[in-house]
Amino acid sequence: MGLRSDILNHQVSALPMREGLIVAPDARLGETMQKMQAAHLGCVVVVDERGRPLGKFTERRLMRLVVAGKAKPDTRVGDHVFGAEDCVTRNDPIHKMIRIMEDRQLRFIIVVDEQGRVIGLTGQKGLMEYIAEHFPRQVKVQRMQAKLHMDEREGA
Amino acid sequence: MTLRPRRKGSTLGEFEDPLSNYDEPTYADELERAMAEDTMAAMVTTPVTTVSADTSVQEVLRMMIELDIACMLVTEQEHLLGIFSERDVLTKVAGDYAKVKDKPIRDVMTTGPVVVYETASPAKALNLMAVGGFRHVPILDVDDKVVGIVGPRRVTHYLQQLIEKHKP
Repeated sequence: MGLRSDILNHQVSALPMREGLIVAPDARLGETMQKMQAAHLGCVVVVDERGRPLGKFTERRLMRLVVAGKAKPDTRVGDHVFGAEDCVTRNDPIHKMIRIMEDRQLRFIIVVDEQGRVIGLTGQKGLMEYIAEHFPRQVKVQRMQAKLHMDEREGA
Repeated sequence: MTLRPRRKGSTLGEFEDPLSNYDEPTYADELERAMAEDTMAAMVTTPVTTVSADTSVQEVLRMMIELDIACMLVTEQEHLLGIFSERDVLTKVAGDYAKVKDKPIRDVMTTGPVVVYETASPAKALNLMAVGGFRHVPILDVDDKVVGIVGPRRVTHYLQQLIEKHKP
């Protein structure tokens, strides 16, 4: 099977998925930022009491708050979320997820179960890891910071 | 001087094709071929927006929001000095913006980012991003000058284009 047919036929469950940071709408910005830094994750999912997504809070949203002077430690995160509908289930095909990400210009997409509860996060990173697995040759031979030329001449 | 061992059966002075053992790569479909054999020119975003190292943090953030971009390349005479991304906003700026906003971006940028040359394949860049965990990778030409940048959003766009283009 080739990469194209895999993307068309495989389901989201084939992608690497991150557990995702989940917070309540009343979570404060200061503690949320600490969680994002500790998890090295650029997005938290805000959920209701049943675990269903109310939206995402991302680094992009944080940057806008910072510039607007609204990024206070006690700022309520639930007031600055978006994209509650940016969801897929584990059984959705990968190509559908790509189309959603491309149409809505998303970096993260929320994975929900049949009841609509959040079970994790995937997105561009998961997709890249999935594609990388199709090119083991490139993974094995490449060096970080490989240069096209030598810094100094060799020989006479 | 080291001599290459001769293959069994060859005699001294006989021409030996150095590519005789080369296995031509095979691809299962057109998408795989494009990923492995195209160059970064097919994927990168150009022209790329850059700032000088003296630009203030506040100004860089304002530009990133206005241009709707996730990272900014910091250059000097087209040569890359560093990169400043949304992650740097989270880790270095957001907690102390009042103190940091007037500082030059060089104080908070990430220096020595991993780069890819424009002659590399998309698969190579993607692997670098996936394995190394880099979200944005600057693209350089042979003179080490910045010619573009590739990020996840661009990758998704490239993939979607190829999937649509090569519909059976």
